Amino acid sequence: MVKINAKHVNPFVEAAMRVVTQVAGIEVRRGHLSYKAKAEPSFGVSIIIGIYGYLTGQIVYSLDATLAEKLVDKMLEGKSPEEKKIMFLDALGEVANMITGNATAVLNQRLDQVLSITTPVIAAGTHLSVHLVPKPALVLGLLTQYGPIEISIAVEERETLQET
Amino acid sequence: MGKRVLVVDDANFMRMIVRDMLRPNGFEICGEATNGIEAVTKYMELKPDLVTMDITMREKDGLQASREILAADPNARIVMVTALGQERVLLDCIALGVRDFVVKPFTKERIISAVEKALR
Repeated sequence: MVKINAKHVNPFVEAAMRVVTQVAGIEVRRGHLSYKAKAEPSFGVSIIIGIYGYLTGQIVYSLDATLAEKLVDKMLEGKSPEEKKIMFLDALGEVANMITGNATAVLNQRLDQVLSITTPVIAAGTHLSVHLVPKPALVLGLLTQYGPIEISIAVEERETLQET
Repeated sequence: MGKRVLVVDDANFMRMIVRDMLRPNGFEICGEATNGIEAVTKYMELKPDLVTMDITMREKDGLQASREILAADPNARIVMVTALGQERVLLDCIALGVRDFVVKPFTKERIISAVEKALR
């Protein structure tokens, strides 16, 4: 049985609020916390980042296209529509990378090892289906004036993995 | 002529941010690399005054690339620019001989100050 731990959630909430506000000037509020049997995304744009080290698993960021466009628009203020289009997925991946990286700095207080993260994998489109290794996830809802962001946290401690 | 900077990051968006912050402040972006392998090759080719280096990249990460650059040129000036703000990572960078450590997201003032300090 895989165990998930609520203590892993707060670093992501705080990092998401700080990062999105700093890079896009969009205010983020804390929403609901729920549970899913699989970390599958709810909205059209998904960014998946793996974590490995003493914690192992994946973080799935999910948002709808309108919010994703607004976010990139604000991050790339002053750039041409062509540049915004070219950098759309890249910019979203970088936001997820910054949130995950910042969260791991709070999660990992250990000096004996690094908590590594993978480069982001981004999927966008209508009728998109993302299939992930089935793992239970804590799902964190965040609210912005342009729509919700969902962060599914499916990580487990290595000791737990060894016990199963 | 401004100091020559090699910008290393797998994200086009991030390279653009660093470029846009450094260029108007008198730095010349002499090259860009999207992974650690390219970073080492371009460092040898371009001999920049400074490298801004991401850590999490496919192929070869920024820590390994920095290790190889510093082995070839112990006077290389490298500033890490990363989302991985863990203390263990910072300690590894210091041990390598990296000049500064900038955590993403950063302000223009923070990166310029890190680059200027590293070039002194």
